[in-house]
Amino acid sequence: MAEPRTDAPIWGMTAEYESPAAIYHAAERFRDAGYAKWDVYAPIPIHGIDQAMGLKPSKVGWFVAVGAIVGVSGGLLMQWFMNAFAYQINVAGKPLFAWEQFMPVTFELGILFSATMALLAMLTLNGLPRWNHPLFGHDRFLRVSDDRFMIVVESKDPKFDAEATRRLLEECGGTHIETVVEE
Amino acid sequence: MSGSGAHNTSLADRGDIRMSPSAARVLSAVLLAIGAVCVGLTLVLGLTTGDKTVARQALASYHVGFLIAIGFSLGAMAIVMILHQVNAGWAGLIRRQFENVMSLVWPCAILFIPVILLSLLGDPLWKWMDPEYVAGDALYDHKKPYLNTTFFLIRNIVYFVIWIWLAHSLFRYSTQQDLTGDKWLTAKARRMSSYGLLLFALTTAFAAFDWEMTLDFHWFSTMYGVYFFAANVGAAICLVTFILLMLRRSGRLADLVTVEHYHDLGKLMFGFVVFWAYISFSQYFLIWYANIPEETMWYQRRQADGWGTIAIALSLGRFILPFILLMPRPFRRSPAVLAFASVWLIGFHALEVFWIVRPQVYDPATYEPIMLNLLDVAAALGPVSLFLGLLVRKIASGPLVPLHDPRMDESLHHKNYI
Repeated sequence: MAEPRTDAPIWGMTAEYESPAAIYHAAERFRDAGYAKWDVYAPIPIHGIDQAMGLKPSKVGWFVAVGAIVGVSGGLLMQWFMNAFAYQINVAGKPLFAWEQFMPVTFELGILFSATMALLAMLTLNGLPRWNHPLFGHDRFLRVSDDRFMIVVESKDPKFDAEATRRLLEECGGTHIETVVEE
Repeated sequence: MSGSGAHNTSLADRGDIRMSPSAARVLSAVLLAIGAVCVGLTLVLGLTTGDKTVARQALASYHVGFLIAIGFSLGAMAIVMILHQVNAGWAGLIRRQFENVMSLVWPCAILFIPVILLSLLGDPLWKWMDPEYVAGDALYDHKKPYLNTTFFLIRNIVYFVIWIWLAHSLFRYSTQQDLTGDKWLTAKARRMSSYGLLLFALTTAFAAFDWEMTLDFHWFSTMYGVYFFAANVGAAICLVTFILLMLRRSGRLADLVTVEHYHDLGKLMFGFVVFWAYISFSQYFLIWYANIPEETMWYQRRQADGWGTIAIALSLGRFILPFILLMPRPFRRSPAVLAFASVWLIGFHALEVFWIVRPQVYDPATYEPIMLNLLDVAAALGPVSLFLGLLVRKIASGPLVPLHDPRMDESLHHKNYI
C-alpha cells in the first residue's frame, strides 16, 4: 500500500470502538449532533443501527417501482405489437390479444426490470463503481472487517470541525482518532 | 439493543393476558345463537319445502360455511406447525391465537356430519354418489376405485382422526407448558410438527379433492390441494390478525403484541395474497391454454350465468386491491389498515368458496340459474357463526399468550429492521 501524501487535504476523521453497544451509543450522539456525512463500519450486522444513526428509509424502492411499471407495461406492449399487430399469430384459435397467454412474459419482464433497477439504483446511490476510496489508504481501517467498530466523519460534512469533531469522537469513547487524507 | 424493564415481571402475573369473562360470555352467546338460528332456518327453509333445487342449494351453502370454518382451523394448524418447525422466536406472543383456532378442528368434524348424512340419505351433494346419475358414465367408471362412498367415508375419518390428533397434541403441549414451565414440551411440539406437516399436506390435499374438486367429478386439477392450502392459510392469518387487533382494542396485550408483530402478520398476509393469486392464476392459465373440454368446463360454468362477475370481483378484491393496499410499509404497520384488510380478505375468501361450490349444485340445462340469495347467506353463516362462537369461548378459557415459552424473550423484544 502506498504511503499517503502528507500535504494532501483532509478527507475525514476516524475513531475506533470496541463493541457494538459502544458504537451504537456513539452513533446516537452523532445523529443528535446533526452530522450528515458520516458512517459506521462494523464486522458484524448491528440490529437497530439504522435508527441509532437516524438513517432515512432507502430510496431504492422507488426506482424498483419505476422498473416494475416499465417492465410490465413494456412487456405487454411488446407482445401486443409482435403477436397481435405487426405479425399476427393464431395460436390454437385463441384471440390475438389474450391477456392470459401474455401474463408469464409480462410477469418475468416486471421481475427482470425491477431487479435490474434495484441493482443499478443501489450502485448509483452508493456512489459505485469507483476505483479507490480514501479509507483504503488508512491501515487501521482493515480491522473493521475483523474486530473493530469504526465511525468515520467526512470533512465535507457542514458540521465538520477538526477540533470539535475530535472532541465528540473522544467523548463517546472513541480511541485511535486519526485523520484520513484525500486519495 | 437493551432489555426494557417493563417485561421483567412474569407474564403470568399480568392482568391483561386474559379475555374478560363477561364479554366473552356475551359475545359467544350471541354468535352461537346466530349460528343456531341460521342452521335452524336452513333446515326449515331448505329441507322442508320439498323443492329439490332449494334443498340442494341449502345443503351446498351449508357446505360452504363448513369449508370456511374448517379452512380457518386447517390454515391455523399449518401456521402453528411451521412456526414450530422453523423455531420462530418472534411468534411466541401470537402463537396461542393460532393454536386456539387450530384446536377447533373437532367441532368442524361435527359440523360436517349433516352434509354427509343428508348426502347419504337424500339427494347427494356429490353427484357421483348417485348410482343412477353415474350409470354408464365411462369417466366415472375409471375413477370408481377411488371415488366411491365407502372409501370416501374412510378417507374422511382418516383426515379428521389425524387432524384432531395433531391439533389436540400440539395444543396440549402448549397449555401444559403454561402450567409446568417444562421447556422440553417446545422440543416435543417441534418434533411432532416435522412429520405433522407431512401428514397435514397429504390429508388437506386429498380433503380438498374430496370436498371441493369432486363436486364436479369429471373435472380434475392436480394443483387443487395447493390452491386450497393457499386460500385457507391466508384466511387463518387474517382471522388471527383480526382477533389480536380486537383484543388490543379491549386493552389486552397492549404492550406485548406490538406493531412489530402486526407488521410481520401484515407481511404474511401480503405474502399469502400473492401466493393465492399465483396458484389460482397458474391453475386457470394451464387449463385455459391446454383447452381440453373436461378441464375447461369447470371454469366455463364459473364464467357463465353471472358467476363470471364474481370471478372478476375475486381477482380484484382478493388480489389486486389488497396487493396495492399492503405494499407500503407504513400500511402493514397500521392496525387500522390491517383490521380493514383482514375483514376484507375474509369476505372475499368466503365469496370464493361460494364461487367454487355453488355453481355446481344446479344443472344449467334444466334449472334457471340461481345466484346467491338470503338462503345461501344464512346457510353459510350458520356453521361459521357456531365456529366463531366456540372460538370466543376457547380464547377466553386460558391465557392469551403462552406463559413459559423458552423463546419468549425474543418475541418480547421483537423488532423489524426491514
